[in-house]
Amino acid sequence: MTDVHAPQSQSESVAGEDKAKNPFGAKKKQSEVDPASGGIFEPAPGGPGGSSPREATANVGWLRWGWRQLTSMRTALILLFLLALASIPGSILPQDGTEPAQVQQYFTSHPALAPWLNRVDLFNVYASPWFAAIYLLLFASLIGCVVPRTFRLVGSARTLPPRAPRNLRRLPHSSSYQSTLPPAQAVEGAAAVLGKQRFRLRRADADATDYWVSGEKGYLREVGNLLFHLSLLGVLLSIAAGGLFGYKADKLLVQGQTFADTTSALDEFFPGRLVSGSDLAPFSMTLNNFTATYVESGESRGQPSSFNADVTYTSSPGAKPGHYNIRINDPLAVDSTKVYLIGHGYAPEFKVTGANGKVAYQEATPFIPANTSTFESDGVVKAPDASLGFMGVFVPTGISVGGTLESIFPAADAPAVSLIGYSGNLGMNDAASQSVYTLDTTGLTKISGSPQLLQPGQTWTLPGGKGSITFVGVKQWVSLQITYDPGQIPALVCGILALCGLLLSFFVRRRRVFVRAVPAKSGTGSVVTVGGLTRLDASGGFEEEFVELAAEIAAAEPEVKQ
Amino acid sequence: MFKAKRRTVVTVTAVAAVLLAAALAVTFFTQEKDVIAASDTNVVVYPVGHQPLAPDFTGTSLTGATIKLSSYRGKILVLNFWGSWCPPCRDEAPTLEVLDEQYSPKGVAFLGDDVGDTPANALAFMSSHAITYPSINDQGYQIVQDLSQAVPVRDTPTTVVIDKTGHVVGMVLGSVSYGEMTTLLHDAAVNT
Repeated sequence: MTDVHAPQSQSESVAGEDKAKNPFGAKKKQSEVDPASGGIFEPAPGGPGGSSPREATANVGWLRWGWRQLTSMRTALILLFLLALASIPGSILPQDGTEPAQVQQYFTSHPALAPWLNRVDLFNVYASPWFAAIYLLLFASLIGCVVPRTFRLVGSARTLPPRAPRNLRRLPHSSSYQSTLPPAQAVEGAAAVLGKQRFRLRRADADATDYWVSGEKGYLREVGNLLFHLSLLGVLLSIAAGGLFGYKADKLLVQGQTFADTTSALDEFFPGRLVSGSDLAPFSMTLNNFTATYVESGESRGQPSSFNADVTYTSSPGAKPGHYNIRINDPLAVDSTKVYLIGHGYAPEFKVTGANGKVAYQEATPFIPANTSTFESDGVVKAPDASLGFMGVFVPTGISVGGTLESIFPAADAPAVSLIGYSGNLGMNDAASQSVYTLDTTGLTKISGSPQLLQPGQTWTLPGGKGSITFVGVKQWVSLQITYDPGQIPALVCGILALCGLLLSFFVRRRRVFVRAVPAKSGTGSVVTVGGLTRLDASGGFEEEFVELAAEIAAAEPEVKQ
Repeated sequence: MFKAKRRTVVTVTAVAAVLLAAALAVTFFTQEKDVIAASDTNVVVYPVGHQPLAPDFTGTSLTGATIKLSSYRGKILVLNFWGSWCPPCRDEAPTLEVLDEQYSPKGVAFLGDDVGDTPANALAFMSSHAITYPSINDQGYQIVQDLSQAVPVRDTPTTVVIDKTGHVVGMVLGSVSYGEMTTLLHDAAVNT
């Protein structure tokens, strides 16, 4: 990430070049000397502690050493690797944020393992302290690395070329020619050619006794470098802004239902650090219809082929209603908030009457798919005002296999439910919240005749005059994810800019050309030497450029004469 | 070679130590936040002069009548957000009914806002808890959204006390207690 060549890497010598006289040679800064290799700072034996001035210096040294380790590229890479590693459980295990029902399912199917995984936040990886620790450290590491480099790059992009070395023949590329002009004019002529070629020039001091000009080109490399580093900072800040001011929320919505975007209407709400409930976009939406189509035949029979959630929405109370079809990867955008379709299921509608014959419950009740290929779903019906509760299995296309109800197709072609009834106090009059997807059967009495199979329109009259339950029909529900991430677009722009910067810094070479003229031994004219140097010319090309340039400088002679 | 190996070991150890320290720090801070939230009082009282004006709204009651907030001007109003699916709402229902019986003769009105519910379930709830005051059918939480412009109605149940001039005196987040409500009603009566 930061191995784009920053100025301090100039200390590496160019192949075949005398290191002591390296025209690129910048002295290695003392602060860059690695303490662990016995450099300028050697940590005091015994480590930090104590209060003598010497030990205090040692403590500061330890801190500086720690900071340098943290901001070193090796640490950044380790942290990046750890971040990738830490994301693995997040993609393998169901996550509370996106699939709470599957998490519940996991707890049921792995009763011994799940609590242990939960203890180390493996069902909520991205919000866990250890995940936060990794990315916070990565942030610190990258910022600590990028900020100082940015300043150095600004300095490097502004510096003049170095003075021309004394002996240009020792440079990797050099040539010389005889000029009829005196040295000062010969050098001026060469400077004019270099200037035309947009080299940045540096001339000898006015009182100097020798004649030379230095030219340097390819500062775009540093600009690219700078762009890359600044964009990287931009990416980090955008992500941070998204984390601070963005939010994510989940909502399960049944066909025909409306919901207004408020915290109490949302099933799950994950606000950024600086987000409160009043920052939610004041939109509301109604799910008019949801259609899912499935492959009817062939090998992939039962595979979904399309999803479409037809919604009506208003961007704020009283605003003109809009209409949209939300599909997978085609979210509804309300102002800057996006509403994604992330799941769906069935909500069989039940009507429960109590012992007094009055309706105690009538609602399309969301059931959670236990099998996402056949959409066999589990759910509960709670009618506390009739002291009745039911656990049910819903099958969209049901057949009886040896007396057991099974689903053979995900579309609701032959829907049926199998219900087990319970009577008694459902415990819903206590202040403690309980899941709407589970029924605690402690203290309840199982109703005889269970399980009862019902098809739409059928009623099960409960024994003992306890009441009845009717399977009215089937609706569908969708699971929506509402996200607001103000950092998304800036992060994308910065990412593209970073790439542009990286490409510039890869493809543009810094190259230096020096011209020196000395009076010819014959007394008239001069001997002009042209030397060229580039760094990291891995892709080649400078040799030809240098030859052409040297020829052009030599050929420019007559122009100077005029 | 040996030195390089030692350096790697030192670096990895240092990184691991810093990681551990950071993880502990993050855990510590998040836990502390939870403790504050848990010990936080669930009653919000707005000081005189800073009482937000409740935005007017119109809704339809569970029995089909039109209900307008502004028609309650001149009375102290207890506005309770509830749902038949919500255990804490069932928990607080008897308290609210007792308060209704005691304070209605003193000119205090009670109004429910039934959220995320069906009329059938809500009416069964009201019948079994002998709730006599009306409730708005607010399945889609629109009234909650309207009122959230003035006060944070974050969860269900929430109970808001509005004075005779339409200003919010205070609110109870979660199940109400008799004492909390009588204090708020006293404040509302004193203020206006």
